[in-house]
Amino acid sequence: MATQDERIEGFGHVSRTVGTVFRYLLLAATLFGIVALTILLIYVANDAIQPLTADPGWHLTFFLTLVVPTLAVGGYLLWTDSPAFRFGASVVGMLAVSTMFAGGAAMIFVDIVPPVVWFGYVLALGIALAGVVALERLDRRLPFLARFAGAGAIIVASLGLVPGFVQSLPVYPTDGIMLTVSLGGPVALVVGRYAAFEMGRRGTTLAVLAALAAVGVGELLGPLLAVGAVPATVLLAVAVVPTAGYAAGHVRRFPTHRSGLALTATILGGALVGAVAVDALGFAGPQSWVDWGFLTSAHSGTAADAGLYPAIGGSILLMVTVAALSFPLGVGAAVYLEEYAPDNRFTRFIDVNISNLAGVPSVVYGLLGLGVFVTYLGQPTGTVLIGGATLALLILPIVIISAREALRGVPDSMREASYGMGATRWQTIKNVVLPRAFPGILTGTILALGRAIGETAPLIMIGAPNVLFSLPTGLSSKVSAMPLQVYAWASLFASEPFYQAAVPAGVVVLLIVLLSMNSVAIVLRNKYQTDQ
Amino acid sequence: MSTDDLQRDLTRRTENAPQELLTRSFFFLCAVLSIVTTVSIIIMLTTEAAKFFSVTAPLMGIEGPTASVVDFLTGTEWVINNEQFGVLPLVSATLAITIGSAVVALPLGVATAIYLSEYASSRAQRVLKPALEVLAGVPTVVYGFFAVVYITPAFRTIIPGLGTFNMLSASIVVGIMIIPMVASISEDAMSAVPDSLRQAGYGMGATKFDVSVGIVVPASLSGIFSSFILALSRAIGETMAVTVAAGTQANLINPLNPVDYLEGALPMTAAMVNLLTGDITGGGVAYRSLFAIGLTLFIITLVMNVISDLVAQRYREEY
Amino acid sequence: MTEESTSGRVSRRKFLAATGSVGAVGLAGCTQSGAGGSDGGTDGDGLSGTIDIAGSSTVFPLATAMSERFQEQHSGVNINIQSTGSGGGFANHFCPGRTDFNNASRPIQPSEEETCSGNGVTPVELTVATDALTVIVNNEMDIDCITVEELRQIWAAEDPPSTWSEVNSDWPDQPLDLYGPTDASGTYDYFIEAILGEEGPGHRQDYSATEQDRTIIQGVEGSENAMGYLGFAYYSQNQGRVKALGVDDGSGCVEPSLETARAGEYTPLSRPLFTYAKQESLAEEHVAEFARFWLENATNQDIVAEEVGYVPLSDADQQAAMDALETAIENAEG
Repeated sequence: MATQDERIEGFGHVSRTVGTVFRYLLLAATLFGIVALTILLIYVANDAIQPLTADPGWHLTFFLTLVVPTLAVGGYLLWTDSPAFRFGASVVGMLAVSTMFAGGAAMIFVDIVPPVVWFGYVLALGIALAGVVALERLDRRLPFLARFAGAGAIIVASLGLVPGFVQSLPVYPTDGIMLTVSLGGPVALVVGRYAAFEMGRRGTTLAVLAALAAVGVGELLGPLLAVGAVPATVLLAVAVVPTAGYAAGHVRRFPTHRSGLALTATILGGALVGAVAVDALGFAGPQSWVDWGFLTSAHSGTAADAGLYPAIGGSILLMVTVAALSFPLGVGAAVYLEEYAPDNRFTRFIDVNISNLAGVPSVVYGLLGLGVFVTYLGQPTGTVLIGGATLALLILPIVIISAREALRGVPDSMREASYGMGATRWQTIKNVVLPRAFPGILTGTILALGRAIGETAPLIMIGAPNVLFSLPTGLSSKVSAMPLQVYAWASLFASEPFYQAAVPAGVVVLLIVLLSMNSVAIVLRNKYQTDQ
Repeated sequence: MSTDDLQRDLTRRTENAPQELLTRSFFFLCAVLSIVTTVSIIIMLTTEAAKFFSVTAPLMGIEGPTASVVDFLTGTEWVINNEQFGVLPLVSATLAITIGSAVVALPLGVATAIYLSEYASSRAQRVLKPALEVLAGVPTVVYGFFAVVYITPAFRTIIPGLGTFNMLSASIVVGIMIIPMVASISEDAMSAVPDSLRQAGYGMGATKFDVSVGIVVPASLSGIFSSFILALSRAIGETMAVTVAAGTQANLINPLNPVDYLEGALPMTAAMVNLLTGDITGGGVAYRSLFAIGLTLFIITLVMNVISDLVAQRYREEY
Repeated sequence: MTEESTSGRVSRRKFLAATGSVGAVGLAGCTQSGAGGSDGGTDGDGLSGTIDIAGSSTVFPLATAMSERFQEQHSGVNINIQSTGSGGGFANHFCPGRTDFNNASRPIQPSEEETCSGNGVTPVELTVATDALTVIVNNEMDIDCITVEELRQIWAAEDPPSTWSEVNSDWPDQPLDLYGPTDASGTYDYFIEAILGEEGPGHRQDYSATEQDRTIIQGVEGSENAMGYLGFAYYSQNQGRVKALGVDDGSGCVEPSLETARAGEYTPLSRPLFTYAKQESLAEEHVAEFARFWLENATNQDIVAEEVGYVPLSDADQQAAMDALETAIENAEG
């Protein structure tokens, strides 16, 4: 027995130093990239916005009106009621991001697509949808193919005839009213239904009408604020009304989060008060290179006058084209691979193929666009269509892979339940699988679109112009893009003024757009992961 | 009965209804599009590259100047106007970028993965993972800009002789860019290691360090390895960061010699961009060399992706 | 139940009345005339259309500056410009007929002319500016003049010297640190043509080549024993940082400047810059107007010299170019 005690005592301690050192080394390694990127971002933001050139009084004013109250209210909320804090912060975030998108949309309606044309197409779509729904009612009396052909004919006829007819009318409503109906209408429908939680059908309709009226106010408000009816209406429809609707709806669902709105009010109010105060007290703000002029002027030989406007418009048009091309094709391929495909060698071959395509360098996709679209098909170089098609091919594998992940996340039990009730495969996909997988698919698509916005090499390969002075107006106009313009400034106009002014400003704008898109995707993903 | 069989049995009767056939064929066509893309890439690259090489050019009806395959693959001079098309300088530069970024990304990526899967609390994970995704979402042109404008001057304080364009800054930014890829794929592999293995290790008195390094990492080695290969293939294919940061002179450098990293060189991808934007006199053969390099690049990345797949499959531990 | 259903809800009649009246007011009170009421588009003289320009990276800044000013006056015209290189522009864009103008830092070659005419494209050569190639050394270097022969010796691929004193015994016994454009640049081609000779030994390869002229400036500025050459444009924007050498072509040392280049004294390192217009495009009014605008402003000191850094045309050269342009326009329209 004595010997046993000696042996147990001889066990000793297990050293923990190696473990702790290892743990901190790992943490340092993890943070290395993030910290490096943050430092670089700070540098470039400093170069572009130049906060240190502002008056000390400017800084002091905003510190007193914005920073201190926000910290106070935010700290209090975080300590007492954390979900309310998150709600308040999310409202502010949503307002900021949606204002950015509203700016882009305003650009489209002011310079690229006249509201009349948009109104015509939305009207055509509405008529087509009504026609298709009516046809569906005739389910029993007509065979499927007849209904399908009829629906196709209605859609084609509507989209072909109605916009032209609308544009040839001698009198039509003002731009603001048309946008209110065609842009604000869908927005109001979605927002009203979200906001009118448990308010019954009449209440929902009232909410929708209230949202619509709020958008319509832009027609009157715009000229008063010297902004123009179209930008005001777009701003209301894309930024203000959705955010207000989200806030109202959320508060109805979670009344305890109401205190979070205090944070929102503090931030917005503080910013407003601060802006008025610096104006009144005459403090000069920072001599930022990223200003309204930068965002609305075209390229210029003088670095201080150069702007990003055509590039932003080009990026927006390219994104719309890429989304329109890659979303249906990518989701379609994913649906086939997950739902229909038998487990044989051909399917495995497609699998391997897609993962290989995801790894092909972007230059080779540019070559593909050059070789097939430009040389073989004889299309003109550097147009929206060719650029959009090339970029769509680039992100198609990514969309397919993430859509497959989302579809795989739908539990098989749901599918089997649907089949058990006698649904066909397509019915199951349409009614059960896709709705459930939709948030994941959306997240993946947004991330892929973010990648496509930042791609430069394929656009260079297909011959996009280095300098463009006006916005592209259609699918066959030459297009530039934000990263392409920044690259042109950094390489072709590589002089000190450009490197000091235009290039950092362009980089900052590009980063803001990309980071907003990524954060929207991440927020969406978090929300739907916690929901499920 | 597997789910697939079950689904097939339950839907067999309605399979041939017109709307089922219609939707099925639509989805099938979407999936086939990916094959069409790959086939187009291969056909286009090979036909245009065939016009470039002397052996095959007569078959394509090209009579102008061409290059021989041997010269292309073994030549050490890449001077377009002198019609010297040796691809080795380009390959050496690409190798240098790959090795340089591997030195940065592979250790940091694996360390990140270990931290995220073994040590980090779920709150820390919720913050760190999106932050890493942001790292991957920054456009590559911006990384190139960072390398030239901020990183090179910073290094110049330590290494006075550093040129404006050098491989060092370029490989560092490419490394930072691919850390998220290594980290996320390795972390997936590590999370897939069943907890029972870890518990067994703890039960035998191992510390967390022992378990992480001695049990989890070896168990997920195939996934880690395949993440390496995927990330390196991304580094090979990286275009804009190196076009802006690495320079434009096709020097033949020794990727294993650190001193060579202080010069600029021309990786394959940057050479392709330069071919389309620089002032070239020989329109035909120079344009076609673009496709020859593209073909080389495509083959390299294809082989690497296939290897990565094979490694993941073959050496994956089944639990 | 009926009480519950009416409390807090709006009666149907009132509801319909409210909606109807709002809608009617909205539609009736706010209308505008149709068919082009709101889309402005052309202010001024109504010139509209698209102009596609590609070509030399040397002429690119000049084309951009001209396009910018033209667009300010005629906002209905869309101009887009691509920098592809002179050769790439001819081969891939101009001769296939895709662009209206091709910028070039060298005259069109006979093979390119053949390709163009094979596609029905008639190039019209217009001289737009003169570029001077500048040889630069570090500010500390105690040399002011260099002969063409010495330049040839330093930069030739045959027996390239490694120190300054190997070329001229008066010069320091220091290693030569050379900077210049890459072989993809028109400046490189021009240097070979002017100094080394087309039939000659070729350009040496062991120098720091770069596409970016700012790097040549930086390199020479940072190294005492450095020499470089680049276009006059970039040198003129950075004059204090490096020293330009005068070139002796047999008749004395001539310093590079706007005056000497325009007067034709700074030989052999001054060259004309061209743009080639597609005669078939000149039939369109906006293209012809743009070409006229460019030539009219080709003597403008502010734009060509101050902003871009090339040598403006002399009045005689401008007149000759405008005559050629007017002839081409007549041929196109006729």
